[in-house]
Amino acid sequence: MTEQEIITLSNQVFEESFEIEKEKLKPEMNIFLDLGLDSLDIVDLVVALQEKFGVKIRNDDRIKNIRTLGDIYKFILSLKAEGASSSL
Amino acid sequence: MKRVVITGLGAVSPLGADVPALIQGIEEGKSAVRYMDGWNQYTGLRSLVGAPAVIVNEKSIPRTSRRSMGRMSIFSVQAADEALADSGINREMISSGGIGCVVGSTMGSAKSLNEVFELMLPEKDLSCLPSMKFFQCVSHTAAMNVAQYLGLTGYVMATSAACASGLQAIGAGYDLIRLGKQEAMLCGGAEELHPTVTGSFDILFATSANFNHEPEKTPRPFDAKRDGLVCGEGSGILLLEEYEHAVKRKARIYAEIIGYHTCGSGVHVSQSNKDSMVGCFRYALEDAGIRPEDVDYINAHATATIHGDKEEAEAIREVFGDSVPVNSLKGYIGHTLGASGSIELIASLIMMDKGCIYPTLNLESVSHDCEGIYHVMNKLDKEIRVLFKNCFAFGGINASIVCKKII
Repeated sequence: MTEQEIITLSNQVFEESFEIEKEKLKPEMNIFLDLGLDSLDIVDLVVALQEKFGVKIRNDDRIKNIRTLGDIYKFILSLKAEGASSSL
Repeated sequence: MKRVVITGLGAVSPLGADVPALIQGIEEGKSAVRYMDGWNQYTGLRSLVGAPAVIVNEKSIPRTSRRSMGRMSIFSVQAADEALADSGINREMISSGGIGCVVGSTMGSAKSLNEVFELMLPEKDLSCLPSMKFFQCVSHTAAMNVAQYLGLTGYVMATSAACASGLQAIGAGYDLIRLGKQEAMLCGGAEELHPTVTGSFDILFATSANFNHEPEKTPRPFDAKRDGLVCGEGSGILLLEEYEHAVKRKARIYAEIIGYHTCGSGVHVSQSNKDSMVGCFRYALEDAGIRPEDVDYINAHATATIHGDKEEAEAIREVFGDSVPVNSLKGYIGHTLGASGSIELIASLIMMDKGCIYPTLNLESVSHDCEGIYHVMNKLDKEIRVLFKNCFAFGGINASIVCKKII
């Protein structure tokens, strides 16, 4: 999976699960302050990312450090580098 | 004791997304019952009919409010919105603590509950569960969502007594206001149609299974050919208000609630019981301070089960005789379960307002065991000063409420 594909699929999660317009989905956007997610949404973000990328990340502490959309792209890319999923 | 009046009505029903659609459908003699596509995949499900409601314009509810709502909660907040708009009550009062809500249902969202099982059980894996399923599945999901959506800070409660849930919610709100605990309460019930819900009645042989290919001909309350209930869905919400408060703001008053009673039969978990119904009627009349002959109209529970209709007809005959007109609305909208008490009370209040009683749809030939009461089989023009509404539920729960027109 290319970096662009990871960005596209991550953005799809925000459109499908959180009804956020495509135009707002930029790497610098803070997922809490700019995109309006809260702590409950983070649970659903994890579930949606797991399903989208075929990974298990529920207990990964790095999730707690995610603040921007760009942080999510980087996190998924790091999972790819670790070989976390055959679909990545 | 304070006086309690009804000043706002809202309903999402199988006949449409608001009260005018509900009434128009009944006036036109429409049945909302249809054959349910896809239900024949369930082995052992005999009843393949239902009365579904349609969710419209759900995106008008902000995502952060909507995410915790299953179907039944969406029905409820839309009905609550309609009731508040109908009442004309000052929106500033909503967050003042003066308004609370009681919204009842048999259980949480049936669709969401099934989604949880389908996600979790195959691999016994909880990590795939979205955060909001809990809030959609809990028994107080409708009450909780109405309160959160509207920002209510008064009492928030959920009655859970199956098919008596909605009427018990109205009774609870009535008690809170007459005791001076709240100035106004949004009260009612909600429920969802789902094959597992119909299935719970079907395995007890309480559903209609003979009309799968003629759905509009069932259910048939009090009729000789009745063969069981048909499940429906929706929500009915009423704004109950302390009388002086309503008068002060020059509110439109549909009726005053003057009596209420609920009780257990103590006899059987599923079989309706005439004697306990009679007791419920008499206590409700006593609470209202009226005699049976003061009642102008009875809106029956009458779901079209063989046993339930017979017991209710016998109970009505024993207390009211054969001079008070009786109808059931289940032929139009099916049995909306926890929502039935509130949706049907709303329709009854409109009948009171219009001075007419609509007939029991599909009642063509009164069953011998349901004779001896005044069945309304054609539209009846009649002044309704006092109406009496019944609900009976699995678990042996009875509930009756008495409303009086304020002239």
